[in-house]
Amino acid sequence: MGLLKKKDSTSARSSTSPCADLRNAYHNCFNKWYSEKFVKGQWDKEECVAEWKKYRDCLSENLDGKLLTRVLEVDGELNPTKQADSNKSG
Amino acid sequence: MVKAYRQEHVYKHPWERVSAASWRKFADPENKRILSHILEVDTLNRKLDTETGKLHTTRALTIHAPGPWFLHRIIGQDICHCVESTVVDGKSRSMQLTTKNISLQKFIEVEERIRYDPHPENPSAWTVCSQETSIRIKPLSALASMAEKVEQKCAEKFMQNSVKGREVMERICKYMEAESARI
Repeated sequence: MGLLKKKDSTSARSSTSPCADLRNAYHNCFNKWYSEKFVKGQWDKEECVAEWKKYRDCLSENLDGKLLTRVLEVDGELNPTKQADSNKSG
Repeated sequence: MVKAYRQEHVYKHPWERVSAASWRKFADPENKRILSHILEVDTLNRKLDTETGKLHTTRALTIHAPGPWFLHRIIGQDICHCVESTVVDGKSRSMQLTTKNISLQKFIEVEERIRYDPHPENPSAWTVCSQETSIRIKPLSALASMAEKVEQKCAEKFMQNSVKGREVMERICKYMEAESARI
């Protein structure tokens, strides 16, 4: 399912990702950091680093490499930095 | 053939809350039933500029998109992968999301741009969301005659889903409002 290599349960609607727990842990941490710190101007420090590392390690072990390459290519094309800079300078 | 659609919506919630809700939109289990076309959301990359307060995030969305039967026959799948690039500028209080499909690009290209900005008339309490969706069907000869219909169908689906997405956003905002009142 998803970006993962195995394609055994394509009809399942629930998450079958082996990284689901680590993903939830990271997203929970991120959401908390975002609402409690980032939007209040406290962006001087990266947080949820340990959660991110574990989640990412799991993803890189399980992700379909070809698809990941495409994702990153398109991400480069979208290049959101440009938009951000042209809309609001400074 | 390109079609573009614009939508605007005003949330009567501050930008801080609305942008936080946007991150939670696909993740909360409660919303998974409503936004059942979203199967997986994975964060693939994140970058925080600790000096400027700019946060870049790349997420991969796996979407269940069953099309009309003939499309399904041609394509042979109904799962679509999309890339979502987000920039949040904490200083100027803006959030911009761009989503593009990476599957089925031979047939169709959909790009969705969403911005959340403080509402100019009430910047501390309201947020304006502007959304632009462009759909481009590739001019394959075999598909040319039905492409128009597919485009229409696709656009309708997008509209339906963005209404659902808005409902979910409103609900998360309300929930977060209640939560912050409790603290």
